[in-house]
Amino acid sequence: MTQTSLAPNLAHGPIASVKGCTRRYPGVLALDNATFQVAGGEVRALLGKNGAGKSTLIRMLTGAEIPDSGTVEVDGEELRHAGSGRAQDAFDKGVRVVYQELSLVPGMTLAENLFLGRWPRKGGVIQYAEMEAQAFEAMGRLGLERAPNTLVASLSPAERQLLEIARVLLGKPKLVILDEPTSSLAAAEAEKVMAAVTRIASEGIAVIYVSHRMNEIRQIAHSATVMRDGRIIDTVDVKGADTREIVRLMLGSEGSQAAALENRSLEKTVLEVRNLALAPKLSSVSFHLKAGEVLGIAGLLGAGRTELLQAIMGVRRQDQGEVLVDGKSVRPGHYKRMLLRGFGYTPESRKEEGIVPLLGVDENTLATNFSGVSKSGILSAKMMAEATRKVIERLHVKTARTDTPIGTLSGGNQQKIVIGRWVYANSRVLLLDEPTRGVDVEAKAQIYAIIRQLAAEGRSVIFVSSEIEELPLVCDRVLVLRDGTLGEEFKSPNIDQDALMAACIAGH
Amino acid sequence: MSLDQAATSASSGKKSGTSFSQHMNELSLFVAIVVLYVVFTSTANGFLSFNNQINILRDAATIGIAAWAATLIIIAGEIDVSVGPMVAFISVVLAFLLQWGAPTPVAFALSIVIGALLGSIAGALRAYFDVPSFVATLGLWSALRGTALFVTDALPVSIGRNDTLDALDRSVLGIPPAAIIMLVFFAIFSFVSRKTAFGRSVFAIGGNAHAAFLSGISVSKIRVALFAIAGAMAAISGILLVSRLGSGNATAANGLEFDVIAAVVVGGTSLSGGRGSMLGTLLGVLVITLIGNGLVLLGINPFFQQVVRGLIIVIAVLANIQAIKRSMSRNKG
Repeated sequence: MTQTSLAPNLAHGPIASVKGCTRRYPGVLALDNATFQVAGGEVRALLGKNGAGKSTLIRMLTGAEIPDSGTVEVDGEELRHAGSGRAQDAFDKGVRVVYQELSLVPGMTLAENLFLGRWPRKGGVIQYAEMEAQAFEAMGRLGLERAPNTLVASLSPAERQLLEIARVLLGKPKLVILDEPTSSLAAAEAEKVMAAVTRIASEGIAVIYVSHRMNEIRQIAHSATVMRDGRIIDTVDVKGADTREIVRLMLGSEGSQAAALENRSLEKTVLEVRNLALAPKLSSVSFHLKAGEVLGIAGLLGAGRTELLQAIMGVRRQDQGEVLVDGKSVRPGHYKRMLLRGFGYTPESRKEEGIVPLLGVDENTLATNFSGVSKSGILSAKMMAEATRKVIERLHVKTARTDTPIGTLSGGNQQKIVIGRWVYANSRVLLLDEPTRGVDVEAKAQIYAIIRQLAAEGRSVIFVSSEIEELPLVCDRVLVLRDGTLGEEFKSPNIDQDALMAACIAGH
Repeated sequence: MSLDQAATSASSGKKSGTSFSQHMNELSLFVAIVVLYVVFTSTANGFLSFNNQINILRDAATIGIAAWAATLIIIAGEIDVSVGPMVAFISVVLAFLLQWGAPTPVAFALSIVIGALLGSIAGALRAYFDVPSFVATLGLWSALRGTALFVTDALPVSIGRNDTLDALDRSVLGIPPAAIIMLVFFAIFSFVSRKTAFGRSVFAIGGNAHAAFLSGISVSKIRVALFAIAGAMAAISGILLVSRLGSGNATAANGLEFDVIAAVVVGGTSLSGGRGSMLGTLLGVLVITLIGNGLVLLGINPFFQQVVRGLIIVIAVLANIQAIKRSMSRNKG
């Protein structure tokens, strides 16, 4: 490994190292003989597609997981504990993670959140003056100049992220791991977080920065480690490396061999979006969708994919722009009317927005149109079972009975039902937001087949995915969403994964 | 932790577990009712007499009629605390309408419509203005009781002679009409909650309002309708109250809302929504009524009765939660 030579001007030795670690889960080799080192004062980018082993590597460093073989060292000492003490050990040695899910209390002030649960006290009384002075100093270190008694609710997303980082810094860490810290931020906001990261590193702290935005990585990272299939593929100097080269490392050579779809000629336009804008994510989005077409929307986490679908469906109201169905402009913000026009939408977070876990598979499917299984206003058990069975068979859902509570099904089967309810409702345009997230391989293949089958029947599908390799398998055409607008267009059979990934992560 | 332990200690019988656990709640309530019967029969004089059993039914009707609607509201993840004042207010409204010479059927219909309209105010505040239903109905609770007291000066509003109302208080084959009305509505609400799109949508909204909305269910309209129904049911209770007392009474039905909520919760309906049954509430109503009746017959100090009642309610719900947890983890294991 050559990473130490790539981090010049660093007076510090290695802070953390993973040596020959392997970790096997049932059916997957999550980490395959990985060796990795990061030095104090260094910002190391960590790249790799979903399931490449980034999270497992991070959990090795935090002590959340124990390697099957190999060792992990932090600050020159090996993590030895085998149980829950291991995470505490890593914590005591100075490993901290800033997670994406923010853990702040919006109704409390900046200073109170910074010291949450560890407020400076005298005889049980919180010492506000002292706390706010300390908070002011800690925030100033990161370039966040806000009064310490500002409510967190009034902070911008980037400022909240900075507050999270400041909280981590209070413990005098040696290694800070940031997991896609800018994914929920607009470009200008992201700059603030990146500036803070540079400052942290200049204080001699080692930083691991998980991100796929190449322009960010080029700006702040000294080097980038690329992972694939549980292995460390290479560590490269980002300033010299070509985006294409990094994509090749991420996807490997087998990437481009996926069977492409035939080029189909389609006539009728069912949906058109003109200059749609929704602050802060979308500035101007225009495209059209034909009957029978599967249109992929590619883009990184936080690129605004969900916002785009929600604006089209009327779940959110766009700031500007127009949505046309069958050539007619629709009034923004009317979800129910979009359903009546034959649209269907499956949300990204299945658990929070997709299913009613306590209700049966049948009712979760049929809720889109109860009157289709009613006789004079009364639900017919026979019709419900029949209609549900049709959907179950068509979508290959595995369930013991039609009225089994959907919460007890696997993620893949739940997702098939979430799609299936629009099949039952006979929707002609389906907007699917990350339909294969958290779904096993077999179910994924089945979902691809279902989508192709729907398209063959003349229905249209918008397929949003952050897994680049699945887009060529499903889509007739792929558009790349980046910097608030749609960029490159790829048409089957010429949807090249490498080029697609490069387009997603490319800078301005 | 405790769930895991329960799972490992649970025995086999996975197959039969699903249907069994669905009725676990009703079963344990049924056992509780049997126990109450045994205890009160052996300790309280005259508990098992025909007259007392009729009394129990009549008391159950007061709680039950309101409790059916409250069950739907709680399943939808909402709450209604305005029941008692609504009943009293409607009784006053009805008495005045009759005093002014309105024909009895018209006065009945108007009372029910007014109840529904008042309820839908709370519903609209919840559905369209995001006022928590507790607050919206608390406002109604205070305003209705206040209005009724203000216009009547807390005095009963007599209605004079009225054959229809008298008939409503005359037993049919020994059974009070209120009890019959309660059971008829029980049947209707059981049916609606299980067999209509409206009923199933209520469960969907309580289970995951966001998913229900994205599936195309009219979440806001259903929320308004629920509170309108609750108002109408309270109005029917108000009419029965007038028939029983022969007057409209602003101070009546004091604390009824808590008996109703207690009955629903004892009946196993989850306060966080999405889970519950009418049969459970029926059994819950019986438990609450039996406790009240038995304690009176035992001659326990009325102040201390409240303490005992409170304890029994909490213990009943606690036991129920434990039973459900155990059967759920058995299903998982």
